[in-house]
Amino acid sequence: MLTTLENTSLALWVGESLWAYPSLLACHIVGLAIVAGIFSMRDLKLLGFFPTLDIAAFRHLLRLALLGFAINAISGFLLFSSQASYLATSIPFLSKLVCIAVGMSTALVLQSRLSFQLASGLESTSVDRATQLLAALSLSVWVGAIIAGRLIAYIF
Amino acid sequence: MWNLLASLADGGSLNQWIQETYWLWPVMEIIHFIGLVLLLGGLIVVDLRMAGHLRVIKPNATHQLLPFVIAGFVLNLVTGTLFFVGDPGRYSINIGFQIKMVLVGLAGLNALFYHLKVSPIMSNWDHEADSPLLAKCVAYTSLTVWTGVLLTGRLIPYVGTG
Repeated sequence: MLTTLENTSLALWVGESLWAYPSLLACHIVGLAIVAGIFSMRDLKLLGFFPTLDIAAFRHLLRLALLGFAINAISGFLLFSSQASYLATSIPFLSKLVCIAVGMSTALVLQSRLSFQLASGLESTSVDRATQLLAALSLSVWVGAIIAGRLIAYIF
Repeated sequence: MWNLLASLADGGSLNQWIQETYWLWPVMEIIHFIGLVLLLGGLIVVDLRMAGHLRVIKPNATHQLLPFVIAGFVLNLVTGTLFFVGDPGRYSINIGFQIKMVLVGLAGLNALFYHLKVSPIMSNWDHEADSPLLAKCVAYTSLTVWTGVLLTGRLIPYVGTG
């Protein structure tokens, strides 16, 4: 199945075109800055930084973060397609996918907790312990995704 | 200018240490990526508010993010300098690197303008109202130029000499 993917005309174009691969990498780093940037600032806020910054701002920023995620899901899949069978057994690559899955799931849980808290009119400055733990988990897995992603180029 | 800096760095003890320490390069790259996330993540919030979005945030409250933006920049200035010292002949003649440095310089001038002209008046802004045109220009310039820094930086390994 992976070799079939590698031999599609799209994957061959990514691998063989002079500009496709670098352009996709360039898109991928912009998406990374948007997704990890917004989520890490939200996590720092939940962990007690930026005391007078209204947490509701991050409810509005979720749409932009999801746009960044869409950019990276698409560019990432295309990059993957050109060397699918190699990456499918790469430990750093698989670790990166796990980190992203945990990070995105945590983002959705945090979003619903945030909406509930804001809707019930609770002080937006009070963050409960479980939410803080989720924020710390999220921050760790996004750092983990960056570390693992970089190591794809160095470790098989 | 870059050739002069490259000749200063080449063959020095720092240059040799970076080249000989096999784990250093990937570690510096990871730090460089974490730095860019802090820098850009903070600026997304600061600049979008400055441009008149996210009005739920008090204009002045975005100042709290600046230490993280600056920390991200310092991390990347240090690791970026070490990349250059570690492989000066490669960076000094690379067109991607050269354009990136011009863009970082522009971003610096824009940040100086923000510091002198926009930041001091933000406390007077009407919470609900749209931002002044000047603030919008500074905010969108910042986001555009930093995106250019990301793009040109990522292309360094793939573009040729300037």
